[in-house]
Amino acid sequence: MARRITIDPITRIEGHLRIDVEVDNNAVSNAWASCTMWRGIEKILRGRDPRDAWMFTQRFCGVCTTVHAMASVRAVEDALKLEVPPNAQFIRNLILIAHALHDHIVHFYQLSALDWVDILQIPKADPARTSKLAESLSPWPRNSRNELKAAQDKVNAVAASGQLGIFANGYWGHPAMRLSPDINLLAFTHYLQALEYQRKALQIVGMLGSKTPHIQNLLVGGVANAIDFDSPSALGMDKLEQIKILLDEVVDFVNNVYLIDVCAVAASYPEWFKIGSGVTNYLAVPDLPLDTKAGAYDLPGGVIMAGNIGGAQKFKTASDPAFRESVTEDVTHAYYQGVKPLHPWVGETEPEFTGWDGDKKYSWVKSPRYKGQPMQVGPLSQVLIGYAQGHPLTRKYAELALSKISAIAGVNATPAMLHSTLGRHGARAIRAAVLGELAQKHWQLLVDNVAKGDLNVHNQPVFPSSEVEGVGTHEAPRGTLSHWVVIKDGKIKNYQAVVPSTWNASPRDQSGAHGPYEASLLHTPMARPDEPLEVLRTVHSFDPCMACACHTFDPSGRQIARVKVL
Amino acid sequence: MKKKITIGGIGSVLLGDDGVGPYVVRLLEANYEFGEGITVSDLGTPGLDLVAHLSGQDALILIDSVDNGASPGTVTLYRRADILKHGPSPVRMDPHSPALSESLLIAELAGQNPDEVLLVGITGHRYEVGTSLSHAARRAATQALAETLAEVARLGGHYRKRSNPQDSSTWWEATEANDSTALLLTNS
Repeated sequence: MARRITIDPITRIEGHLRIDVEVDNNAVSNAWASCTMWRGIEKILRGRDPRDAWMFTQRFCGVCTTVHAMASVRAVEDALKLEVPPNAQFIRNLILIAHALHDHIVHFYQLSALDWVDILQIPKADPARTSKLAESLSPWPRNSRNELKAAQDKVNAVAASGQLGIFANGYWGHPAMRLSPDINLLAFTHYLQALEYQRKALQIVGMLGSKTPHIQNLLVGGVANAIDFDSPSALGMDKLEQIKILLDEVVDFVNNVYLIDVCAVAASYPEWFKIGSGVTNYLAVPDLPLDTKAGAYDLPGGVIMAGNIGGAQKFKTASDPAFRESVTEDVTHAYYQGVKPLHPWVGETEPEFTGWDGDKKYSWVKSPRYKGQPMQVGPLSQVLIGYAQGHPLTRKYAELALSKISAIAGVNATPAMLHSTLGRHGARAIRAAVLGELAQKHWQLLVDNVAKGDLNVHNQPVFPSSEVEGVGTHEAPRGTLSHWVVIKDGKIKNYQAVVPSTWNASPRDQSGAHGPYEASLLHTPMARPDEPLEVLRTVHSFDPCMACACHTFDPSGRQIARVKVL
Repeated sequence: MKKKITIGGIGSVLLGDDGVGPYVVRLLEANYEFGEGITVSDLGTPGLDLVAHLSGQDALILIDSVDNGASPGTVTLYRRADILKHGPSPVRMDPHSPALSESLLIAELAGQNPDEVLLVGITGHRYEVGTSLSHAARRAATQALAETLAEVARLGGHYRKRSNPQDSSTWWEATEANDSTALLLTNS
């Protein structure tokens, strides 16, 4: 007899997500993903000046601000066929990468590591032995016995106080927790260090974008940064050198800490390479444009269907016709009016709340589909598509990660193992390493271009009175983001954002096909159904971000995360 | 050494009264100048990114809409203990409330937490999609601003009224959908 478990909301994510699973014989037999808050913010854009849209879209989500700003200006530029000067491309690319590195580091350490790391095992670790182990894995200088001991002392103090503070909600001692005390200590030490490096990444965003969390330097047609190597207030060599120092520090952390930790944790949980694959259709768009026309990119895009890595298709541009023409949103199981799947340019967002009903409507998230198929998006898609197309940097870091895992676990790790919960974590770390190396490249491209005397950062947009349509894409930390705009008489007629978490968190569609979260949970083993750690591991591996709705601070504390077992 | 004080407006400017925190920040920036060490920011809905903004600060003053059952427009002050009273149980529940307690706890773990924390809470009236504030929230903003300045003074921070105040209208309200102007229309 199947038991129904409701987790509402899923904790340690951004925003509201509810997961329902049926558990039969200690494994998940059915699953539903629902977003519990309505987002219909796109409506706010109708009638507005397209040049202002990015400032509003930047507020869609407080965590993914930059990515929505960038997708918006790209959508308007696509509609106008407006070229973007090389300096502006490089500055934008650097901002996007710095944001992504920040986001990936936060996700692994602050949002998901505690699914795998058992804090209460840390007091049993031996810092000297841990330091020796760490030195065998990485040249990172901050793995000394003293640094590890200091981190262990923090945990000891928290445990002794009886106030678990930030750790109050973990499933400590759960039978699915299996890291050695030493690896637990190592990962926790880096949890603390990660706070410093993610902050450095944000500083880069702030230096290039004037402010964080909301950058100020974008314009439709380029950026507003004044470039002048002789003026201290403008973007000059001094500031660029500071940015390079920060960037190198973050890249060092990614390569020598984050990537290594993911491999070490993964090597301790090899069974999680067999759990959580779900939808094996993958989608990613090209990103990091290298020229004004956005005809060449440093990151590849395309699709893989049914896990067939050898049969990957390639997108030539970030608004490739194959992508533009193939996206629809289905509302069969979402709380919206409408019958047929609609293309985003003619998309509607008219709410029709009917209450949670797993057979009918049960989520505020629509179901985006590519040629009618559910697609997984995110770092795993990015890495598999890059790997399939022989993208050299993706291959380099994917092979590095797989060989590390093989060496630590004594197994033969292959790319096929990446279709899994741990594969998503591994791919995110691989992607971060690829992005770090590309940030260094784009920093140099910017410096070299300016050194040639090109100071242009902006092309003026010109709006036709006729109706034009555009799509702006960005391969964001959580995957393919697309903003779709229709402009008439210089004003926005329609605007739709198809965000990465919509692809991944989508409910079933008209054919009954599960969205990626749902599909990935099927067959997941559960040791203790009332402590659904395994479900959280898989859901967190997607890096859910549902922060799309308003919610205010509630001092009564009445909104308690709950797990309900029926 | 001057105290490092961060004053942050929290909330989404696209969701009615949730934008009251950023609105108070705009009023502060337009009408006051602050001394060394004081940062005034519209932080939006930063989630855990709040950690980056509060780490290493001596004091934190946040202005945010609250859902506390009081009548709309009520201003209520919360100290660190009030915010953490219910522990981190609402961990990562929504765009910003859990992030507040969680961010404070993470910063504390890292030894980077501000000594003084004040949340100036404004009970909102409506939170539907829209870029304008209710009358209740707009009225309360003046009181929230006064509470913020009083806290700055209590902490020993300096501020003074601008002799030439800036325009305090906000971009999200100033660019209403129906009066967008200055378009570059051609017949191409």
